[in-house]
Amino acid sequence: MSRKPYQPPMPASWWLKHPAYRFYMLREATVLPLLFFIGSLLYGLYALGQGEASWLQYQAWLQQPWVLALNGLALLASLFHAWTFFVLFPQVMPLRLGSRTLPAWLMVSAQWAGVLLVILALWWLLGGLDAHQ
Amino acid sequence: MLSLAKTITTDVLVVGGGGAGLRSAIAACETNPKLKVTLLSKVYPMRSHTVAAEGGAAAVTQAHDSLQAHFDDTVSGSDWLADQSVVDYFVKHAFDELVQLEHWGCPWSRQPSGDVQVRRFGGMKTERTWFAADKTGFHILHTLFQTSLKYSGIQRLDEYFLLDLLVHEQRCYGVLAIDIASGDLVQIQAASVILATGGAGRLYQFNTNGGIVTGDGMALAYRHGVALRDMEFVQYHPTGLPGSGILITEACRGEGGILLNKDGYRYLQDYGLGPETPPGQPQNKTMELGPRDKLSQAFWHEQQQGRTIQHPQGEVVHLDLRHLGQRYLLERLPFICELAKAYVNVDPVKSPIPIRPAVHYTMGGILTDANCATSIRGLYAVGECASVGLHGANRLGSNSLTELLVFGKVAGREAARLASEPSQPAADSLLSTLTTQALAPLQQLHNSQGSERWQPLRQQLAASMEQGCGIYRSEAGLKETLTCLAQLKQRYQQLRLGDSGKAFNTDLLHALELGFGLDVAEAMCQAALERKESRGAHQRQEPGLTNRNDQDFLRHSLAFYQTRPGARIEWQAVDTSLSPPAERLYGGQRPRGQSSAGQQPTDNPPKESR
Amino acid sequence: MPTTEIRLQRYRPEQDNAPHWQDFRVEYDDSTSVLDALEQIKAEQDSSVSYRWSCRMAICGSCGVMVDGVPKLGCKTFLRDYPKGLTLAPLSHFPIEKDLIVDMSRFLAHLSAIKPYLIAEAAPKGKPYRQTPAQLARYKQFSNCINCGLCYSACPQFGLKPDFLGPAAIALAHRYNLDSRDQGKSERMAQLNSDNGVWGCTFVGYCSTVCPKGVDPAAAVNQGKIASTLDGVIQWFKPGKETSK
Repeated sequence: MSRKPYQPPMPASWWLKHPAYRFYMLREATVLPLLFFIGSLLYGLYALGQGEASWLQYQAWLQQPWVLALNGLALLASLFHAWTFFVLFPQVMPLRLGSRTLPAWLMVSAQWAGVLLVILALWWLLGGLDAHQ
Repeated sequence: MLSLAKTITTDVLVVGGGGAGLRSAIAACETNPKLKVTLLSKVYPMRSHTVAAEGGAAAVTQAHDSLQAHFDDTVSGSDWLADQSVVDYFVKHAFDELVQLEHWGCPWSRQPSGDVQVRRFGGMKTERTWFAADKTGFHILHTLFQTSLKYSGIQRLDEYFLLDLLVHEQRCYGVLAIDIASGDLVQIQAASVILATGGAGRLYQFNTNGGIVTGDGMALAYRHGVALRDMEFVQYHPTGLPGSGILITEACRGEGGILLNKDGYRYLQDYGLGPETPPGQPQNKTMELGPRDKLSQAFWHEQQQGRTIQHPQGEVVHLDLRHLGQRYLLERLPFICELAKAYVNVDPVKSPIPIRPAVHYTMGGILTDANCATSIRGLYAVGECASVGLHGANRLGSNSLTELLVFGKVAGREAARLASEPSQPAADSLLSTLTTQALAPLQQLHNSQGSERWQPLRQQLAASMEQGCGIYRSEAGLKETLTCLAQLKQRYQQLRLGDSGKAFNTDLLHALELGFGLDVAEAMCQAALERKESRGAHQRQEPGLTNRNDQDFLRHSLAFYQTRPGARIEWQAVDTSLSPPAERLYGGQRPRGQSSAGQQPTDNPPKESR
Repeated sequence: MPTTEIRLQRYRPEQDNAPHWQDFRVEYDDSTSVLDALEQIKAEQDSSVSYRWSCRMAICGSCGVMVDGVPKLGCKTFLRDYPKGLTLAPLSHFPIEKDLIVDMSRFLAHLSAIKPYLIAEAAPKGKPYRQTPAQLARYKQFSNCINCGLCYSACPQFGLKPDFLGPAAIALAHRYNLDSRDQGKSERMAQLNSDNGVWGCTFVGYCSTVCPKGVDPAAAVNQGKIASTLDGVIQWFKPGKETSK
């Protein structure tokens, strides 16, 4: 027997080797600022339950530059993640009409149109609240 | 000293993992599920060269078609050198085999109704070529390979190289092989052995074939005394890419592509294939849908008269597909678009593809009877390596993929039947003697202190074959090539390996393949020299030899191996029991509504796909 | 003719304990592929260099190599695109047998595991199934895989966990599951539902980028996740039946 296969190692730094892997890790890493954002929300809910003082304290905390920065990052991360998700969506759920598949760009655009609609709806909803006050 | 690393015992051994090998392995299993079937291949089965077939597989399918018509096309395509009862069996079983493949999952292209779609092909009177886009061979091979995984009776030996057959007194007891990964020598004892090792197109410089198509099985059967039949008939495919020879399928022309010389003129009308048909409206057996031999010969004449086009990689003509439009091309010929872009930087939607003839197929091969049995008991051959008698002097496109299936099944069945009979196994002493004999040349190669390397020898072989045994041949040219072959064989004795390792020693394998090739080339040239007429793919230039001569040469050539240079040629009668020889006519020369001179009342099949 | 530098990863099992690099200079023109360059090296410089190849036309799937760290088919990658030279290494994530040759047996085992053949009770007698172009189009793309293994070299999950069935095998399972003639889906789901099946994929998506045949295995795997989820839900509502996981 002169077989002696060499099994190349898979170092922990494998994901640094190629732009595609780095991009993938970045996508997965978007979860970190989002975790912070969820933490902030939970803190807010807790503060609301503790009374006005606590709520004001929470609001002050929110105004801090580092908290603003992290939440800003979370917004960017969620937009980035949404973008990657939307791009992958046509691969996962291709829509077929007869023997043809709906083009990917159409599905991606439709999803962004959906996002825009939701934002407009929220805007309208929040604007409505303002009018009541 | 070389020695065996292990011995494997099996019932049916199939050598070659292409379409014919896989089909026969499956057939052997189905014939007798108790048998151990071993599939040995020098590459993983899905790498086999069946994978590169593009156009399709023929079978009478439409209601207005008939078995008689397919028979007539094949026989006249063969220039009456096909064995007619074999052709008859073939056309009768073609449809069922394509259906079988469909039931195994082959993704045949479809009509809107859901029925199988058929396309036109060269030399065929009616549309009867089943296709899977323009990757038919690929889909057939993968379907067969994947289906073979279902059979637990099939044991695979992937990446094993066939070194020799173990033959004694006209009986085959198995083979000797190299396990390529380890370099180990392995003896495989089998009650029956099927050679399905493919053709020998790599003997030529310009060819459409993969690197593995080196005539291994042909050479080994030949060395053990089996005749190689009709070896002078080597098919040039009219449309290969310049330089590489990469295949541009005949289906391009079947779908309406046209061939143009440097003046933009459809020159085929000058070679008995006219009248000119409007671009995009192909007519069966006319112009671009003439048979491959005629089209390649027409190129040769155009080149002689300076009407071909200069290309950085040699003289070419143009294959124009532009009038078919982007959408149609991407649906029917997507792979061609991909190949043209990658290898000659041409988008067929926008520009014509430069093409030239390239060696594509060896019509001849190991002589077998209609049951794929050779003259050695226990040894069968099937597919391109074999000559069962289907193709004669010229094969029609899309007949060979069907051949793999129809005769693959026959070979598997026959080999399984033999293996199911009680038989006396070979004595150990005999096997050991045969093994020692078989290892001697390998030992010599390993020990050689010579100075020759296989690469320049192979280049000279390919150049000499192209030069002397090409589209047009002459006595002088053939003799020159035979002399060159004799010299190369001498030099081969002085071969030295550049790799002394055991694992994946591809240097050794290429050297062995060259040795096989030299023997096969000799059989081709000797047969070509002695066939003093022009028929199908074999065209002689000398005055008096430029026409078919049925009087003297309506016969198969049989090349027998001899230790001195050249081959010994014998002649064998052709079975013309069903359709007497007539002139081959294409284009407007063809009488309307002809059904050739066939006398045999073959029934029209009630098979149609509507 | 211009020349360029090729840095080739060598591994000769009988002499070496680990791979090392060796430099070669090769001539090239507009049409020289990586495979042509390797042939040049083998013919003129070092005939012990080993690699797999056959068809030269990107259909047999033999000649996958890493070109500058990217999995490619050697026959369809051209030196003209690498004027500054290039590195060649065997496909990542597979055990290396010799030089550019890797051990594909694990890949083949994964292919066989998903039952890649039509499973149907009874085929129509003596005639083909009917299958409309639309039905064909559902799976056609996934039947174009040439088994070259590039996607396995692109897949870090396969590198980390070699038991992961991987892109090509799952795409092939998906191909048969989508075939209107096939009834074998339930037999394949056990494999697909497992941790080494579709759920072993984290959708890096690079497999589809490197696929030389546009098969898009990432799509197959992730469509497989939906199928697997539905299968799980269905199994959940079937009383008395074991889930196929």
